[in-house]
Amino acid sequence: MHISINSSRRRFLKSSLGGATAVGIGAAVPACFAEAAQRGNTRDERILVVVQLSGGNDGLNTVIPYTDEEYRRARPKLAIEKSSVIPCGNDLGLHPAMSGMGNLYEAGQLAIIQGVGYDQPNRSHFESMDIWHTCRRKDQPRPDGWLGRLLDTLQESAGGDVPALHLGREQQPFAVVSQRVRVPTVRELAEFQLQGANRDALRKLLDSQIPSKRQETDSNALLSFLQASTTSALVASQRVAEAAESYHSEVTYPESELGKKLQVIAQLIDAGLQTRVYYVQLDGFDTHAQQPATHEILLREWSDAVSALIRDLDAHSHADRVCVMTFSEFGRRVAENASAGTDHGAAGPMFLCGGGVRAGVTGDPPNLVDLHDGDLQHQFDFRQVYASVLDAWFRTAPGPIVGEGYDPLNLFM
Amino acid sequence: MSESLSMQRIDPEWAWSPFEPSSKIPWDDARAAHLFRRAGLGADHNVLIDARQRPPVVIVQELLAQNTEESDFRATANLLAETVMAGGDPRQLSAAWVYRFLYTPNQLLEKMTLFWHGHFATSAEKVQNARMMWNQNQFLREHALGEFSELVQRISKDPAMLIYLDSAVNRKAHPNENFARELMELFCLGEGNYSESDIQELARCFTGWEVKNKRFRKNRYQQDSGTKSILGQSGAFDGEDGIEIVLEQPQLELFLVRKWYRFFISDEPAPADELLQPLANTFREQGLRIAPVLQQLLSSNLFFSQHAMGRKIRSPVELILGSLRCLSATTNTQTLASGLLELGQGLFYPPNVKGWDGGRTWINSSTLLGRANLISKVLADDSTRFAGMSFSDYLEARQIGTPRQTIEYLSRCLLAIPLSDATQHQLLQSYERSSGGKELKLRALLHAVTSLPECQLG
Repeated sequence: MHISINSSRRRFLKSSLGGATAVGIGAAVPACFAEAAQRGNTRDERILVVVQLSGGNDGLNTVIPYTDEEYRRARPKLAIEKSSVIPCGNDLGLHPAMSGMGNLYEAGQLAIIQGVGYDQPNRSHFESMDIWHTCRRKDQPRPDGWLGRLLDTLQESAGGDVPALHLGREQQPFAVVSQRVRVPTVRELAEFQLQGANRDALRKLLDSQIPSKRQETDSNALLSFLQASTTSALVASQRVAEAAESYHSEVTYPESELGKKLQVIAQLIDAGLQTRVYYVQLDGFDTHAQQPATHEILLREWSDAVSALIRDLDAHSHADRVCVMTFSEFGRRVAENASAGTDHGAAGPMFLCGGGVRAGVTGDPPNLVDLHDGDLQHQFDFRQVYASVLDAWFRTAPGPIVGEGYDPLNLFM
Repeated sequence: MSESLSMQRIDPEWAWSPFEPSSKIPWDDARAAHLFRRAGLGADHNVLIDARQRPPVVIVQELLAQNTEESDFRATANLLAETVMAGGDPRQLSAAWVYRFLYTPNQLLEKMTLFWHGHFATSAEKVQNARMMWNQNQFLREHALGEFSELVQRISKDPAMLIYLDSAVNRKAHPNENFARELMELFCLGEGNYSESDIQELARCFTGWEVKNKRFRKNRYQQDSGTKSILGQSGAFDGEDGIEIVLEQPQLELFLVRKWYRFFISDEPAPADELLQPLANTFREQGLRIAPVLQQLLSSNLFFSQHAMGRKIRSPVELILGSLRCLSATTNTQTLASGLLELGQGLFYPPNVKGWDGGRTWINSSTLLGRANLISKVLADDSTRFAGMSFSDYLEARQIGTPRQTIEYLSRCLLAIPLSDATQHQLLQSYERSSGGKELKLRALLHAVTSLPECQLG
């Protein structure tokens, strides 16, 4: 059945104007909200889907310098056969499990940025991830993430829907933490609503909770946070349920966790949800031992799911306004270890997929001789890639979000 | 995050001195409930009434004195675990641990076992062996209130841990850095208190440490017997020596005490080193024994102050199992075990080697809805009983007759902060409007209370 988005949007706005909104925290309803109800659905806003490969993806076995003898010398067990790589550009090949990415490359919908990292690389999963998520090191205050800061600038155009969504079972990524906006996490579409016999009464009760104005010398920040989170959970669950009702696709997604998540994202985009940033994660890249089998499965899962998403968006005429950005917290060491695996390293490749990207490879093939502590030296700071996305894709000044002095690269049409 | 509390400097001397109740700050239900919620999962009102007969310092001593499981209880709990292990599915093990949480007479011991499980995080997802996970859990419980050095030395030879960190094989020619890194970063010192070269040198100490036929062994043919330089010391160290050197580092005590502060006192704001120093000194002076630090922490002025009360977001274990425990409730442990996994705190299934971050990270829209839905599922289950009775009989047995009294009783047992008049009024209205018989209506009321933002604070 088909639902007119406009009427459901108005219904949703009406239902949520009573309490706090999805964007404010117990604030008055912003004017843009009421306007959005009049304006209806704008289907031209650009969207970013972030795919995080957790654990430290082995970039050298993802975008492979297969003609470099040094590569084979450093990896007697792990080097991928020349004959099996999927060629992409000069002397580089994609891992054989990445046929989906290969197709995107052929179709001009894949941009690869080589050697992305940062100065004085940190090899702790958690610290390095935090650096990527916040653009700041541990000795600086880190109240929010880079996407959270972006959301704060996008609020005006958010039109009543949550500005970002995290899909997955992990805890919420630091990158989307904002000082003003609550970003919902959706684990499973089906579960994303109150259940049980008394759910309507409970929804009503929780909806009517006004943020406390407790007359105490100190307010409890955690309580305010919980109240705002509860409100935003109720609003988002209602809206997402409405949005997911009217979608039909011919594209077959892989039967994987990531495939399912990306299919939900296509669903929500096609339903006209005004969400601008989607965030998903694929974990398991910490391949210290027996890397080949694991890495192959993970790369296939990622490549198949992302290429299915792009095909699906193409079929629904959204591919030009959606960009899928993939990163990992670090690469692996150049030399393999004794357990047929690789230990924590530094620089690695990033990927942008979609109709709006400038396809091809940016940067030189990895230099496997001039290493730093056994690791690749980076060619680009990751904040340059973020800056390119902010500047060219979101038309937002990157400086305040990622810091000054990170020049954008030429990654978009 | 601007909070007036964080603005003021807390005097460390005052903070860690023993709390002495006064007419202004009495030893009342609220503080007793706070102690049992934090030092365990919570207690039925009858336990609180009893606890108020003795000073808080003594209650903490009693909790710490129960540092080994009562043998009868252990026999039952282990029998249950053995039964599910016969099936070999680690997910069944979670239910066996849930059983312990709901029934243990040694609450603090169990709470600390959970702390160490998060600290030395190991996931059955990867280990895929119920027996190994259980053995690790048993030794964490055995030493949960004992000596930290012992815990570290033991975990370094624990098969489940070594498999989890890809360190089941460790050869001389290519030392595996993973375990050495996590030992310093996550178990002992914290990120930034060691160098990359310390990791590489410490990794050499662990060469030859391997898991063979599911058991730890030292393979001396693979042991690198050369000289290593770790954290400023040089010698032909082996693994045990390497651990000793790490344990001597002065950053260690602050690193652990900071974690205990977050676990027992408050999620935020982060305490200053200066505030933590006296506790850190206790830890070091007492030879890294755990109990003396907890005695000081749990009976302190700070612990019973507004800096701590209601200043933690409840973990799924604390909310779900804690609420049941406060009402002497029992239910299907399998439902609870899989529910906890859904909510982000699967027992034996921490998210990664760093364990659970806790605090605000427990909360997002999915987990908030999920918390309400899990409790709804438990309350809809006929096997859920309260002290063996229906919920209405349970309340009646405690002379609680009216909805208003019920709300008051539930607030006293379950909530760390009082409900506003408006919220109490809404709960009453909601109760009046709800349909079904008395038992259903009361269960719906309990569901509503546990779903409130206030009830997510512990």
